Amino acid sequence: MSIRHGLLALLSRGPRYGYQLRVEFEASTGATWPLNIGQVYTTLARMERDGLVAPGGADEQGRAVYAITEEGRRELARWFATPVDQTARPRDELVIKVAMAVAADDVDVAAVILAQRMAIMRTLQELTRAKRSSTEDAGRRLVLDSMIFKAEAEQRWLDHCEAVVKEKSA
Amino acid sequence: MTVVELRDVTREHGEVRALNGVSLEVSRGELVAVMGPSGSGKSTLLNLAGGLDRPTSGSVTIEGRDLATVKDLAALRRGGVGYVFQDLNLIPSLTAAENVMLPRELDGVRARQAREEAESVLREVGADDVAGRFPGDLSGGQRQRVAIARALVGERRLLLADEPTGALDTATGDEILRLLRERCDAGVAVLLVTHEPRYAAWADRVVYLRDGEIADSTAVRLESAR
Repeated sequence: MSIRHGLLALLSRGPRYGYQLRVEFEASTGATWPLNIGQVYTTLARMERDGLVAPGGADEQGRAVYAITEEGRRELARWFATPVDQTARPRDELVIKVAMAVAADDVDVAAVILAQRMAIMRTLQELTRAKRSSTEDAGRRLVLDSMIFKAEAEQRWLDHCEAVVKEKSA
Repeated sequence: MTVVELRDVTREHGEVRALNGVSLEVSRGELVAVMGPSGSGKSTLLNLAGGLDRPTSGSVTIEGRDLATVKDLAALRRGGVGYVFQDLNLIPSLTAAENVMLPRELDGVRARQAREEAESVLREVGADDVAGRFPGDLSGGQRQRVAIARALVGERRLLLADEPTGALDTATGDEILRLLRERCDAGVAVLLVTHEPRYAAWADRVVYLRDGEIADSTAVRLESAR
């Protein structure tokens, strides 16, 4: 996903100024994607150039606000309607590491898997703590849930690796 | 305060060593999760911690009492330890409230007091609205709430849970873990066996068993060391 679509989604709820966009972006992604204010202004400038947003004057405190354009709404609708491409994700270091460990003769694969498993477990504990403290905010909770499901999938895959490696060495 | 302590516990079934030199403590207010592949000794560990089984060597202490010196394990279990399993928890011909009252009536508590205790603990687990209904009319999550109430009734301070989320969808499973967590924060000690990382993640500490031994555990956190 791009920052621009996230900002467009926020602007579709009404005009906003730069700092406000940054705060709301971070809140709605469960603070998992920190954004600096420079990125916000750069992105807004590019979107203005592309006709997706327009300057909407200033609010009562004199802050420059931006509003979404019709073209911006169409772009946002397109984005929501387009599924994310699975193959576009970056290569996974964990998968490569375990594959290399299995191929090597002198690596304790079980130890590699266990170390990874405990690291993921700690991450899961942290995510769960964050989830416990965000009972009010469904969006944030679902972002954390997504990360929990991903960590869980990695653990499941490690279980599978462990079983296969054990069978191979038995 | 330590509620249950296993020290250098080994359990052999004939030639098979199900558990080998395991030491583990669970304190008041602490939720400890035990993970590991099937056959790694999880259930053996839970049975020993709850006095359902005795170790071949090593010691198990529940609330300061060494189980080796306890003749009537059943009485100790009834008074201090609650169990929750994946299913087969509730008696279908009794209402939720009657199921929760049952262990207290077995303890010799009068029906009226047992009912009051049951109502109070059902309230604590958010199941007071189903008190008069039969298990067959409850959802999986509601049944598990009632089972937890029954495990805790009569001020039991040690709760042993063996895959309590096994039959539940993830959102309901999360609710059950949130409930166990709340009960922990209210002072109960919980030992949870699960093969699902998402539920183990609610614990203060996660212990990973492999071939009957503790392979590793996530460190105790400062905020839970009370």
